[in-house]
Amino acid sequence: MKKKVLMGAIALAIGAGVSLQASAQVKPETLVKQRQAVMTLQGKYFGPIGAMVQAKMPWDAAVVARNAGYLEALSKMPWDGFQPVTAEVKDTDAKPEIYKESDKFRAESQKLETETAKLAAAARSGDQNAVKTAFGEVGKACKSCHDDFRVKR
Amino acid sequence: MSQPLRAVKIWDLPVRLFHWNLVGLLAFLVWSGKTGGNAMEYHMYAGYWVLALVLFRVMWGFAGSTHARFANFLAGPGRAIAFAKKLMSKAPAPVAGHNPLGGWMVLVLLLSLLVQTGTGLFSNDDIAAEGPLFALVSKGLSDRLSTIHSWNFNLLLLLTALHVIAVLFHLLVKKENLVTAMFTGVKTLDVSADGTGIPVTRFVSAWRSLALFVLAIVAVYLIVKRPF
Repeated sequence: MKKKVLMGAIALAIGAGVSLQASAQVKPETLVKQRQAVMTLQGKYFGPIGAMVQAKMPWDAAVVARNAGYLEALSKMPWDGFQPVTAEVKDTDAKPEIYKESDKFRAESQKLETETAKLAAAARSGDQNAVKTAFGEVGKACKSCHDDFRVKR
Repeated sequence: MSQPLRAVKIWDLPVRLFHWNLVGLLAFLVWSGKTGGNAMEYHMYAGYWVLALVLFRVMWGFAGSTHARFANFLAGPGRAIAFAKKLMSKAPAPVAGHNPLGGWMVLVLLLSLLVQTGTGLFSNDDIAAEGPLFALVSKGLSDRLSTIHSWNFNLLLLLTALHVIAVLFHLLVKKENLVTAMFTGVKTLDVSADGTGIPVTRFVSAWRSLALFVLAIVAVYLIVKRPF
């Protein structure tokens, strides 16, 4: 009886250990989905600013400020999802060069954060011209990184 | 032995304006397309102009001056091959209008430009730029057309390079200056070479070209703005 309890306790301990390890290590597929979700949301909040900047939609300073604020937070989020283990995932357009040229990738990601912070500042100031300029620079930051590190579709 | 060379007017003003406007627009389109950001807005305006120019040039290919017409410069494969063989020999072979190879290049370039502007209308860059007709198609189809837009861009660069190399070949090897001719419209031809004398060129009124270009602009406006 005593032995059975002991065995049970050991089994429980091992099980707990395994499950702890599993929750600490996020699956590569999940990392890919998470960073793609960030990019999707960036598109969601960036697009309307573009439409307003190009006068395709009436200017709404409150929406611009809100979206730019969201974008400032979002601009920091994708990068820790780009871990070398995700290079094995099939369903991604991220090029493996990301992990070979990590300095360049980091520079590009920082460029996005810097330019998005400027966009948020411009949006808070309410200066439409400044928003337009900053909007363009964020778009350029997106593009130069996509051109280098995203598979052309 | 002196040859009876004579300066002959070949290219009408619309053909020349089309050509050099296109050169400038393409340079701007390459730059703006590579840069992205706010330049994309102007990338699209420049694209509309190219579309209008190409539509005009197609109409001019049927209703323009002699050497602007497709019927005048699209030769059969036999003539094209014969010309290519003659080209490799030392003998100069100036042709009044587009030569049999250059004629096909004109057609291929125009088709490639049509594909480029046509796909551009539906393209998106997954950032903030969407062509004016993006809303008419699904995201998946727009993505496929965007892919064609970027592949055909490479093709267009290749064709442009080939075109420039051919012009340089004529300048340096065949001693024919086609660049100046495209500015002035005038070519220096050996009018006795093929025994036909001065080529007969019928120039069409500039008013017709203006009317056709306005028609092309209206067509592009209707495509882009879709007011109906």
